[in-house]
Amino acid sequence: MAEKNTLAAQPKLRSKKGHERRTNGTIYTVLTIMSIIWLVPFVFLVLQSFRSYKLEKGGMVDYLLPKHFSLDNYAFLFEGSNFFSWCGKAILVGLIVAAAATLLIHLCGKALDKREGEDKGARILMIGGSLLVAFAALVALTAALQGFALAGKAGTLLIALALFMLVGFLMAKVYLKQDSKLLRSIPGYVVEDKHEGAKKLCTLALEFLVLSIIIQHMLAPMTASQYVRWYINTLTIALFTAVLQTAIVLSVSYALSRLRFKGRKLIMNSVLVLGLFPGFLTMITLYFLLKQLGLTQANAVPGLILIYCASSGMGYYISKGFFDTIPKSLDESARIDGATRFQVFLKIIMPLAKPIVIYTVLMAFMAPWGDYVFASYVAFGDPKGYNVAVGLYNWVNTNDFQNYFTRFCAGGVLVAVPITALFLALQKYYVEGVTGGAVKG
Amino acid sequence: MASLKLEHVKKVYDKNVVAVHDFNLEIKDKEFIVFVGPSGCGKSTTLRMIAGLEDISDGTLTIGDRVVNDVEPKDRDIAMVFQNYALYPHITVYENMAFSLRLRKMSNEEVHRRVCQAAEILGITEYLARKPKNLSGGQRQRVAIGRAIVREPQVFLMDEPLSNLDAKLRNQMRAEIILLRKRIDTTFIYVTHDQTEAMTLGDRIVIMKDGYIQQVGTPQEVFETPRNLFVAGFIGSPQMNFLKAKLVKASDGYQAELYGIKVPLSEEKCAKLAKKGVGSQDVILGVRPEHTMLSFDGNANTIEGTLRVNEMMGSELHLHVDLADGTSVILRIPTLELTEAQRASLAYGSKLRFTFPEKVAQLFDPKSEESLLF
Amino acid sequence: MVDLNYLKMSKPQKFAYNFGKFFKALPGRIGGGFVKLGRAIAGFFKAFGLSVADLFTTFKNGDWKTRLSYLIMGSGSMARGQWGRGLLFFLFQTVFNLYMVNFGMAYLSKLGTLGTVATEKVGRKTVYGDNSFLILLYGVLTLFFVLAFIYTWRVNIKQNKIAQQIEASGKKLKSTKEDLQSLMDSQFHKTLLALPTLGVFVFTILPIFFMILVAFTNFDYNHQPPAKLFTWVGFENFKQLLSSGSASYGDTFRQVLFWTLVWAFFATFLNYFLGMFVAIMINKKGIKLKKMWRTILVMTIAIPQFVSLLYVSKMFAADGLINTYLLKWGIIHEKIPFWTDPGWARFTIILINIWIGIPYLMLIATGILMNIPADLYESARIDGANAMQMYGKITLPYMLFVTGPYLLTSFTGNINNFNVIFLLSQGRPMGLAGNAGSTDLLITWLYRMTVSDTNYKIAAVIGIMVFVVLAVINLVVYNLIPSVKNEEDFQ
Repeated sequence: MAEKNTLAAQPKLRSKKGHERRTNGTIYTVLTIMSIIWLVPFVFLVLQSFRSYKLEKGGMVDYLLPKHFSLDNYAFLFEGSNFFSWCGKAILVGLIVAAAATLLIHLCGKALDKREGEDKGARILMIGGSLLVAFAALVALTAALQGFALAGKAGTLLIALALFMLVGFLMAKVYLKQDSKLLRSIPGYVVEDKHEGAKKLCTLALEFLVLSIIIQHMLAPMTASQYVRWYINTLTIALFTAVLQTAIVLSVSYALSRLRFKGRKLIMNSVLVLGLFPGFLTMITLYFLLKQLGLTQANAVPGLILIYCASSGMGYYISKGFFDTIPKSLDESARIDGATRFQVFLKIIMPLAKPIVIYTVLMAFMAPWGDYVFASYVAFGDPKGYNVAVGLYNWVNTNDFQNYFTRFCAGGVLVAVPITALFLALQKYYVEGVTGGAVKG
Repeated sequence: MASLKLEHVKKVYDKNVVAVHDFNLEIKDKEFIVFVGPSGCGKSTTLRMIAGLEDISDGTLTIGDRVVNDVEPKDRDIAMVFQNYALYPHITVYENMAFSLRLRKMSNEEVHRRVCQAAEILGITEYLARKPKNLSGGQRQRVAIGRAIVREPQVFLMDEPLSNLDAKLRNQMRAEIILLRKRIDTTFIYVTHDQTEAMTLGDRIVIMKDGYIQQVGTPQEVFETPRNLFVAGFIGSPQMNFLKAKLVKASDGYQAELYGIKVPLSEEKCAKLAKKGVGSQDVILGVRPEHTMLSFDGNANTIEGTLRVNEMMGSELHLHVDLADGTSVILRIPTLELTEAQRASLAYGSKLRFTFPEKVAQLFDPKSEESLLF
Repeated sequence: MVDLNYLKMSKPQKFAYNFGKFFKALPGRIGGGFVKLGRAIAGFFKAFGLSVADLFTTFKNGDWKTRLSYLIMGSGSMARGQWGRGLLFFLFQTVFNLYMVNFGMAYLSKLGTLGTVATEKVGRKTVYGDNSFLILLYGVLTLFFVLAFIYTWRVNIKQNKIAQQIEASGKKLKSTKEDLQSLMDSQFHKTLLALPTLGVFVFTILPIFFMILVAFTNFDYNHQPPAKLFTWVGFENFKQLLSSGSASYGDTFRQVLFWTLVWAFFATFLNYFLGMFVAIMINKKGIKLKKMWRTILVMTIAIPQFVSLLYVSKMFAADGLINTYLLKWGIIHEKIPFWTDPGWARFTIILINIWIGIPYLMLIATGILMNIPADLYESARIDGANAMQMYGKITLPYMLFVTGPYLLTSFTGNINNFNVIFLLSQGRPMGLAGNAGSTDLLITWLYRMTVSDTNYKIAAVIGIMVFVVLAVINLVVYNLIPSVKNEEDFQ
């Protein structure tokens, strides 16, 4: 009886395996076809960006592979700009300074660590740094008032130096806290994360690099081509928006998630209702408001930053959902431990909210790259105030687009590559954000 | 180290849900008080009001000699251990314990001294550099306690600190809390739903239900003289048996009649009843399972029942017995007191007889559910 | 009480039963809604009355400090030693007074007519008259300011009352330093929300309010300030947009609205089910390179839409790659009118939107699929369910339940999905009255009305209609879908 059963079951089992194989095969086929469809436009885009607008046609043609691969389109984007030599200089300066500073701070930390009164050394550093900042600010202010180009340069240089000091001090302090002698004297103390130190040094180096670029920019501004200008415009908008918008969104969502006050429900309901109005409805009013402030056309960059950030508090939903999942007892415990609500926000919630902070920054940073509507309306025909989206859109939709299509492709590639890389690197946080947001509605 | 006074404290949530009614209690300095009751009885709310995490709707709360109704939790000089420990996940155990001290701008040396001392008391020195997620439940519990004791607070609050631990660890931690209390000797307020914890830890126990205090007393008091049916049923495990009975007043005293037996009451009880002016009436008679005895000698003055379930617990038997009118009672009989033959006779469905000593019987009024002997 | 008869019913019976129940309850619900609304209004007036009464009693019982505050805001607080608060109040009043005298009153008084003096040309010089736009904008701003002032004034008096009570009970008032400290603690929400609220007020609420008012004026290309005045016209614009006729946009509006809803439906549900399907395929046990498949698909989210959509729109153009290659390979003999035929254009847009939308849904579905407890499937397998049954009985209900609210927001988002339409077809092919095209959504039509036609009054009305449509959809769905309300069922 038992034997019969196993015999009968065996062919069925085998067929089940075959069935499985067939299903998987189908799935692989479908996925491969999908991948091709998904990637093909981008491959085309890249291919066409290499078609020379000088030797062939810059517009639409009836073949895919360029007959002559050339960098003509890319060269056009940078025509009239000293972009590359400038960048090279900035990076070189940055790297040297960063390396020196990293070494200095490392030594500083070590030295301070060895001394008994470690707080004293840190304090001296801090006071020195602050004095330098104050002095530099004074010089810069006078320079600005007097309009002396030289003094202005000196002032900016001093500010930059002071910033170095300050950052250095902060890093030294962090260094001390994390790895101080006091901690190491505890029996059983082990440094859990060995990468921590390396990571810190890397961030530090990066900070110095950015600072160096800023200095380089202040000392010798880049001469920009149209495209480079649009690119810098967009980058500036994106950076500022990322910082400000994140600060605003986090403040609002923290307040609505953790604090209980009169009018909380009212605020949430109002945001719900306001969200039902289409955003472009307000466009002319916003344009007029910005115009009153002088922030349109050539000055569109600060104007756009203002527009993107001013109402961003209404987008609190996803991060509030995240805050809601952090146990309330942590807040309560910290408050009993003696923290004010501000300290709870800063010392307990913020460190725990890292994923959602990254998500918010990512979203805020990416949005300005794709905005055409407000950007074009605020810039109102002045190419100095365009962002990349407006500039490239105009290239494609001008009468001359037969000549500008391949240049559009090249410009698009240069925008898409860094943004895509950033997105893919932080994909994990993006997924966390959208899934959390979708599940909670 | 301070005394606490709660006077007419009341908590009303919006829409008129009253969580705590008119709570009056004086807690002496260095006393260990336990709030106990079923979930939703208002014990945690009361604790959170003392901590300052909930506003007090009405009444006054005094810590030491300061009215603290409107004082922020951070200024009340209290420490609290939470049910889910509430350890800060992003910093090490060391920094967790140092957190409150650093906020008070204490010097590094002092912080270090206190943290190390607390860690030593609790035996968690070797985990100081770890983050909370790398600790086991018991270790986390210790860290939570450590974080509270480094503060050297006036009042030590604990909100069901052991309920997230498994049974074995809970017993062990309970013992450690008793030891800890001896070492740091300050005022403790401890909330639990577990009557065993309440009995073993508390100097005094506050039993609550539906926002009202049912009884306040030492473990001994609440066990031996429960004030009402609820307290009688809540304290002790398995639960006290409640039997319908008739109280008959005669010229020379009272006697209770139930299931065909007569229990003459002692002089002490009679005096209490007489003082209350109780006449003949229906009563509920309470007997704890551990106070019952099986009777194998055919004594007529015993109660007869049918054995439904026989639970062998090792040192004792828990017998679930149905009486004639369907009431179910539990008897707790030490195994050693029975002979082999007697144990063999306790088959499912068999008839048995049991009795109890008069002095353990509790009498309750069926209408008011209050004890008649209080 | 368990309704055993209900449990016994078959699925269609249950559906019919619930359907009937919903409609039976509908009048009651609508009635209930009105009762609630009535109660809210009554409550508001009652609170208002109480507030006014409180003003009188406070004045009657107040000391001189409190009474002085009725006239000079903040004076009471300053007299009580709360300098910080008092100064703020005082400053606010001063600014308000200066603003009203120098600026606000003039605009407020003209709000009724939106200006009467037209701009004229006297000889070669242009003499500017009233600017209706400015009058309306600053009029609204002033109105807001007045309301804010009244509210602050009320707060000022309330604070005096409370301060007086505190003093009477013998406690100490908060000093300025304590006030500042509380902004970091018990009043921390004020610190956090001050700036964001101000931003929303100036850059969202004020403009929306302004545009709602514009819907009741004749502000368009024929009435452009500063050259021309515009004025109130009542519901004229609503009539023009909604009624049929040669000079009206009623037919266009209906067509555009219909296409907007059809588009939103397909864009939401097609993407939803296809995205879920892809997620299930990738997540199936035994499929390798999961991460690679996902990353490839996610590319369309990562690359800015203006690059990818503009490029794809050119691919589908009449002389674009698709047409030329299809012709070359002899699959077609005529160019496919992707963007010039209304039907093709709509189809192409929905198709390309799948390309953009699937990855997003795939990510969400992946997250949720991983959250479905594995024991649900194990138990179903032991009960004898096959793959399809498990999908129908576990995966789908779970997904629908969890993403119910998301579907609603997604539908709303698609009604306002400007980018896809604008970057792909710009609403073309054109040909409807009111300068609208066959693929125009309400929102792109609104955009064209604003930017190219400068027909602001109609743009404003369209904006209001979008709001009405969305509000109706949201209200109905909130009342119908259970998962929006009780989120706990599946946990």
